[in-house]
Amino acid sequence: MRRVEIDPITRLEGHGKISIFINDDGSVENAYLQIPELRGFEKFVEGLPVEEIPRIMPRICGVCPAAHHMAAGKAVDNVFSVDIPEVAKKLRELYYMAHFIHSHAAHFYALAAPDFVLGPDAPKEQRNVLGLIAKVGLELGGEVVRQRAISQDIQIMVGGRATHPVWNIPGGVTRALSEENAEKVKSLADEQIGFAELSLKLFNDLVLANETYLDLIMGGIFEQVTNYMGLVDENNKVNFYEGQVRMVDVEGKEMFRYSEPDYMDYIAEHVEPWSYLKFPYIKERGWMGFVEGAETSLYQANPLPRFNAADGMATPKAQAEYEKMFEVVGGKPCHKLMVNHWARLIEMLYAAERMQELINDPEITDPNVRVIPSTTPREGVGIVEAPRGTLTHHYWTDENGIVTKANLIVGTTNNNASINMAVKKAAQNLIKPGGEVTEGLLNMVEMAFRLYDPCFSCATHSLPGQMPLTIEIRDLDGEILNEVSR
Amino acid sequence: MKTIIIGLGNTVLSDDGAGVYVARMLSGRFDDDVSVIETESAGMNLMEMLGGFDRAVLVDAILLDGEEAGTIFRLRADDLKITPRLSSCHDIDLVTALELGRQLGLHMPGEVTIFAIQGEDMLTLSEGCTRKVEESLPLVADEVEALIKGLDGPRISIGLDERKNRDA
Repeated sequence: MRRVEIDPITRLEGHGKISIFINDDGSVENAYLQIPELRGFEKFVEGLPVEEIPRIMPRICGVCPAAHHMAAGKAVDNVFSVDIPEVAKKLRELYYMAHFIHSHAAHFYALAAPDFVLGPDAPKEQRNVLGLIAKVGLELGGEVVRQRAISQDIQIMVGGRATHPVWNIPGGVTRALSEENAEKVKSLADEQIGFAELSLKLFNDLVLANETYLDLIMGGIFEQVTNYMGLVDENNKVNFYEGQVRMVDVEGKEMFRYSEPDYMDYIAEHVEPWSYLKFPYIKERGWMGFVEGAETSLYQANPLPRFNAADGMATPKAQAEYEKMFEVVGGKPCHKLMVNHWARLIEMLYAAERMQELINDPEITDPNVRVIPSTTPREGVGIVEAPRGTLTHHYWTDENGIVTKANLIVGTTNNNASINMAVKKAAQNLIKPGGEVTEGLLNMVEMAFRLYDPCFSCATHSLPGQMPLTIEIRDLDGEILNEVSR
Repeated sequence: MKTIIIGLGNTVLSDDGAGVYVARMLSGRFDDDVSVIETESAGMNLMEMLGGFDRAVLVDAILLDGEEAGTIFRLRADDLKITPRLSSCHDIDLVTALELGRQLGLHMPGEVTIFAIQGEDMLTLSEGCTRKVEESLPLVADEVEALIKGLDGPRISIGLDERKNRDA
């Protein structure tokens, strides 16, 4: 049995390795995504004052600091049992919408689009953002950079800092939005809507109008049937900042929903010896392994799963796109993994529209942005949707507010089992007996992985301490063919 | 010459924060035409930071096989296939960032020097560096200062060619 490795995975934050196991006849026996990296944030925060947590957790990494800032901020509000002022909620959500645009734009233009615009088997040196711009024009490149700068500026105007914010504190936020900045954000929000619409048009023209790509998206290689998770508001519309977590089954029927404090009643985590990353599953069904289908206990959390788990979008333009998308892909729920790219862009439009709604709220410059907590701290959970899936932060403290324990389920972790299965299915479909394993084929396997917008910088957080990792490669008789230690 | 010095790293990941600590040591040592910043960002964000400068110095931690912790490397942008932060990130690598910036009409620095400090531990969650890396921080700061000011300072950093010759 031969092993083909894609290592390191290009265009991925953090470190990961895909190992593909090939039988003597050239067929794929199995494929794994292995995470040989570890960051022990849960242990790190033990002993720290809990009010420091929203400031420290974003430092997990520079990719989605705002998501950790929001989840930690909400969790710490709950630790102090404090209901924050309405304006503080609105400001946090406003800030968070700008982050979503920033993150989704990076994923689409730098990571996803090159595969579609240049072709999955284009030479590696062209299949990147430079190749993309060469093909679709410098003007678009300039616009992407400008719009990303705008979403960054909005975060700075609203919350002081874009990367590693220090703005959420127990009971609200540290500063109100000035009238002057509010006026600026108003016009910028309009521009961001235009940018999201432009991105959707691009996806339409370059991807959906191309039959080869449409076949790739709608074909069986990138399909997986699981349950779906997403945060919804009181009307069951997608919400990134608050609401209830709703789980739907493979037919789109609601299985259950829960509020922040109850997540442990519904979600459990499985551990495999070959990965540092845990595998969450639906608790009531029990761990059933890496299987898809009606009975599976696995779920996904990401843009398309959010769409599957909700009844629609809360803003008009995004709602229209949501309906169009499900019409094109043949109804809801949709199990075609590549559709995540499309849903991601619709989410960008939603975020921009929601931003516009929030900034035009007359209360948004209300100076009363914080209440002082007065209860004894205990325990709290905060849940938001991160760009790459539902994000849960949970902290326990002693009576002095010192963290005694923490638990995180981060966006990518929700999808861990799903990613492994998607990679395996793609490898088995694409790598055939007798065929050559080309770079283009391997890139397509990697596309199965990239569509999740995975990020492992914070997903790997088990302890204790250091991480000697041994990878054993065995044949079907269990004999070790190769062993790699580090 | 408009110059930017960027210290890269994460200060809660032991030696990973080395670049940031060097940037902190350098702040206040220059006139207004030299900006010193610290960041955890990479890719497109880095491109935006570099735009408008004639010269850039980046300081980061590095993990090369078989090197002693604290060893200081002086690299060019093209050498950068070897640092994790500058070559594999959520979006684009430094070479791509520089090229993309140029193509988009941003004034990108013509001269880019990277100081990379060999780390010992970049995974343990801890503030501050390990001892040997800690000792190298002021040396890197002095060398960056000498480079920017055109002074004859002691040069202790080694280039990749020199590394090759040394090992030969």
